[in-house]
Amino acid sequence: MRTRRWLPYALLIPGILWLAIFFIAPMFNLGATSLYDPNGSLDTGYRMTFHVANYGDALSQYYPQFLRSFSYAGIATISALIIAYPLAYAIAFKSGRWKNFLLVLVIAPFFTSFLVRTLAWTAILGDNSTFVHFLHTIHLLGPQGRILATPVAVITGLTYNFLPFMTLPLYASLEKIDPRLIEASSDLYASAFTGFRKVTVPLSLPGVVAGTLLTFIPASGDYINATLLGQGARTSMIGNVIDSAFLVRLAYPLAAALSFMLMAAIVGIVIFYIRRAGTEELV
Amino acid sequence: MAQAESVGGDLQLVHLTKMFATFTAVDDLNLVIPKGSFFALLGPSGCGKTTTLRMVAGLEEPTSGQIMIGEKDISFERPYRRPVNTVFQSYALFPHLDIFENVAFGLRRRKVKEVKSQVEAILSLVELDGFARRMPAQLSGGQQQRVALARALINKPEVLLLDEPLGALDLKLRRQMQIELKRIQVEVGITFVHVTHDQEEAMTMADTIAVMNGGKVEQMGSPTELYENPRTTFVANFLGQSNLISGKVFERSDDLGVELYGNRIRVPRSRTSSNSDSLWVGVRPEKINITLADRPIPAANVIPGVVTDASYIGVSTQYLVKTAWSEELMVFEQNLLNSGARPGDSVNLSWDPAHTFALDANQDVDAGVEVPEADS
Amino acid sequence: MIEKPVSVPGFAQFIKAQATRRAVLGGVGATGIAAFLAACGTSAGTKSGTAAGATVTDLSEKDKTLIVSNWPLYIDVDSKNQSDHPSIDGFTAKTGAKVTYTEDVSDNNVFFGKVRNQLAAGQATGRDLIVLTDWMAARLVRLGWVEKVDKANVPNVTAHLRQALKSPSWDANRDYSAPWQSGFSLIAYNEHVTKPVKDIDELFTRPDLKGKVTLLTEMRDTVGLVLLSLGKSPSNFTNDDFNAAMAKIQKAVDSGQVRKFTGNEYAPDLAKGNIAACIAWSGDVVQLQFKDPKIKYAVPDAGITLWSDNMLIPNKAAHKKNAEAWMNYYYDPAIAAQVAAYVNYICPVDGAQAEAEKIDPKLAKNQLIFPSAETLSKSHIFMGLDAATEKTYQDAFSKVSGG
Ligand SMILES: Nc1ncnc2c1ncn2[C@@H]1O[C@H](COP(=O)(O)OP(=O)(O)OP(=O)(O)O)[C@@H](O)[C@H]1O
Ligand SMILES: [Mg+2]
Repeated sequence: MRTRRWLPYALLIPGILWLAIFFIAPMFNLGATSLYDPNGSLDTGYRMTFHVANYGDALSQYYPQFLRSFSYAGIATISALIIAYPLAYAIAFKSGRWKNFLLVLVIAPFFTSFLVRTLAWTAILGDNSTFVHFLHTIHLLGPQGRILATPVAVITGLTYNFLPFMTLPLYASLEKIDPRLIEASSDLYASAFTGFRKVTVPLSLPGVVAGTLLTFIPASGDYINATLLGQGARTSMIGNVIDSAFLVRLAYPLAAALSFMLMAAIVGIVIFYIRRAGTEELV
Repeated sequence: MAQAESVGGDLQLVHLTKMFATFTAVDDLNLVIPKGSFFALLGPSGCGKTTTLRMVAGLEEPTSGQIMIGEKDISFERPYRRPVNTVFQSYALFPHLDIFENVAFGLRRRKVKEVKSQVEAILSLVELDGFARRMPAQLSGGQQQRVALARALINKPEVLLLDEPLGALDLKLRRQMQIELKRIQVEVGITFVHVTHDQEEAMTMADTIAVMNGGKVEQMGSPTELYENPRTTFVANFLGQSNLISGKVFERSDDLGVELYGNRIRVPRSRTSSNSDSLWVGVRPEKINITLADRPIPAANVIPGVVTDASYIGVSTQYLVKTAWSEELMVFEQNLLNSGARPGDSVNLSWDPAHTFALDANQDVDAGVEVPEADS
Repeated sequence: MIEKPVSVPGFAQFIKAQATRRAVLGGVGATGIAAFLAACGTSAGTKSGTAAGATVTDLSEKDKTLIVSNWPLYIDVDSKNQSDHPSIDGFTAKTGAKVTYTEDVSDNNVFFGKVRNQLAAGQATGRDLIVLTDWMAARLVRLGWVEKVDKANVPNVTAHLRQALKSPSWDANRDYSAPWQSGFSLIAYNEHVTKPVKDIDELFTRPDLKGKVTLLTEMRDTVGLVLLSLGKSPSNFTNDDFNAAMAKIQKAVDSGQVRKFTGNEYAPDLAKGNIAACIAWSGDVVQLQFKDPKIKYAVPDAGITLWSDNMLIPNKAAHKKNAEAWMNYYYDPAIAAQVAAYVNYICPVDGAQAEAEKIDPKLAKNQLIFPSAETLSKSHIFMGLDAATEKTYQDAFSKVSGG
């Protein structure tokens, strides 16, 4: 079988090429761009000066947006978890023959564009919407109060948009739980709630970890929710800064440095989180 | 045990019935299982054993009937409030907890103190000292089985339900665990209800066996009683093997005189479970003497025949003997008494009337005949 | 409704109401990391490709084709077949050139990201004619990335371009560009929720508007109107003027008066009354008014800004002559009127109004499509900025607007 030894490696080639062309090369480029002279412009060109200070400058200028991104994403992730867990639980254990239908409903939002979905929330949360009128009526919101163009709206949008990313892994891990384990727990003096706490929840942890990561990571880099549902500078996230630095201000080195820092921060947070969750082998 | 005060007593199933839609899985079951006994529920696959156990455990609601422990009706008690624990068919160990925590699960739920010493004691009872910190996936099947047992036993339930706990083990380990289980049961003195479809297992372990078929109990009694005096063709065939011959009663006195295709034999009344004149007359293969036609006949009930097959299997020789009416009867002869019969020889089959039993002819003669399993 | 040809006014208005040029979704949706990465490819590239050196052999004579990139919903459509454009059919009939018309400009910055690498490297973009807003057109002219138009080939442009549009600071002789459509940035308000708003000072300070005002993320549109409110001209101002305008905007933001800065997603918010008043684009106002006459606009006495989307011929365009023929064709007043009947923006062609009168008198009277000379005299074109200034201004503006 000597002649076949190379085969497994040959099979890897397309994947490696793909990675090289579409991931490694752009990353390298991005890394290089982040070290260009920050005073470059289209007219004068952008020169490589190994200007490491780009990073320091970007951080000292934009750390509030970083913090805001991570706190919005964090709150959205927790909210999504709170909403998605019962949903996934019901689909996995209580939906009977409706299971497939409900799963399609969970992913149905993906049939329309991210943007359209987010825009729909401007109608739901608008100042003259039924929902906001209701909040006024029950005095949860003052007479001048509003939801749209506030952090609440941005976080609501993030929560909604990434909900399927939370629901699906949760469903997958809940679905895998052997119902006989729940029976065993009730046989061993665990009430329904205790059985849920001591058996279902721990066994669904891999889904919780996967779901929170799949929600947190894109949410912290998102800028569309802040653009459409937020209030400009007061709610802008790091994605908005990168978007405008790159497209409008043509501050390529700054945009690249910010992107790199965002990536690094996310990787850092993820590693820390996985360590804490103690489920390296499950992810 | 939270309910330990309840006068522990016999487990009683009264007219217990379970229907799934229109299908009756357990049909008007009546059983009394004495406290402290090792009770086996024996029956073929699908006869309703698991369903019965699940109703006792509280995992399934009875359609009608009652479940009592002593004086207490627990028919609709929540599972976690019943003084009953289960060793599941698939063990159902919690994969995220180590062995210690699996075993301690019930104690912790009941907020019992001294968890550590109790867990250690029970682990040593099931000979798993030193395994406390392993995860279930790191144990062999037999070890997992013992964890499942320890996890249930540690709660000192009034009734321990075991649903084919040995089904997943290989033959050797199974035999070993059977002895082990029996030892433990004697040691702890708890009522064990052990479900199995392996008749040998039931016979070695149980004080009392109930043979189930189609959701009903066919017969209940000690292993000897069931074996020696089966009351249905199903029991006669399912528990060991039987020769069943169609006969007509020609005389009723202290015992019955029955004619089998012209051969007159006798059956004690106590071993007859029917008043009908048409009967199935049964005798176990190992109870039959086989003698060449010209030799003296050692017992009173006699049928002549011709040997069609003889196979030597070490402890015994098994013969098939064809009667005048072309029925093949089976005979096991201990190798101590060698008759010297060979295929083609004319022989007399004879047995003691005390070893004869008679069943109602109005039953399927082949009920309960099992395709022998490779390992039993 | 009676079946009539294309020029039924009601139908034209109906089409107008469908969507606006800067299709709401395009503005935000297309921007993204992909574009970002793609555009990073030649970040180190210096200014290359000058107007002179970049010309290639013009294939126009041999190869009768033309490739045009324009914004969505920015041209007339056939009433029965939305993908057919009668005026383009007319062009082909007249010149024999087949047109590939693509609506792939949804955002100036994003489109720039698309073509930047080729133009910087002196390569062809695969397009003969593109349409970009003043400031972006100015950038391309400044970088030498567009071809000079041969005036001999565009007599209609010379003859019919409206006076007010003739000499923007970035292309004083219109050597490189010709407006496709133009528009005002002005104040719009929703009369269902507020009384009239007549100028920027009201917009920035009136207490009843607090939290119900939006401004535009396009720096020139917002800053332009604020400069005017300070008595400065957007066509010619100093850094100090700019800083003063920024300070005024910052104050309005800090006081909570301004709710946010938007692309044209302000339009549905204005229609619903989520916002009461805003700086708006005239084309959106035309569209909103068609659905709800209570959406009003105001032209402050201090003035408004006028911008254009300009036809440009990118370097190395293979069919330059055909592109010039296209420019010339659309400056025929009758053709311009045909387009104006469908598009919500200002028609840059003199004489088109008279032609429009024949199609629909109401159309000809619309001040946001055929503005009078008086309205135009109040309007100002934002001056061209050099790269460094543009960066400084954009940085300062994005701090306030939240980019
Ligand atoms: N939830 C259910 N719904 C419908 N029918 C069921 C259900 N559970 C069991 N049954 C049926 O009831 C009958 C008895 O099932 P049960 O599990 O009690 O059999 P068993 O005696 O334990 O068999 P085995 O030896 O194979 O485990 C079977 O015919 C089974 O198909
Ligand atoms: Mg079973």
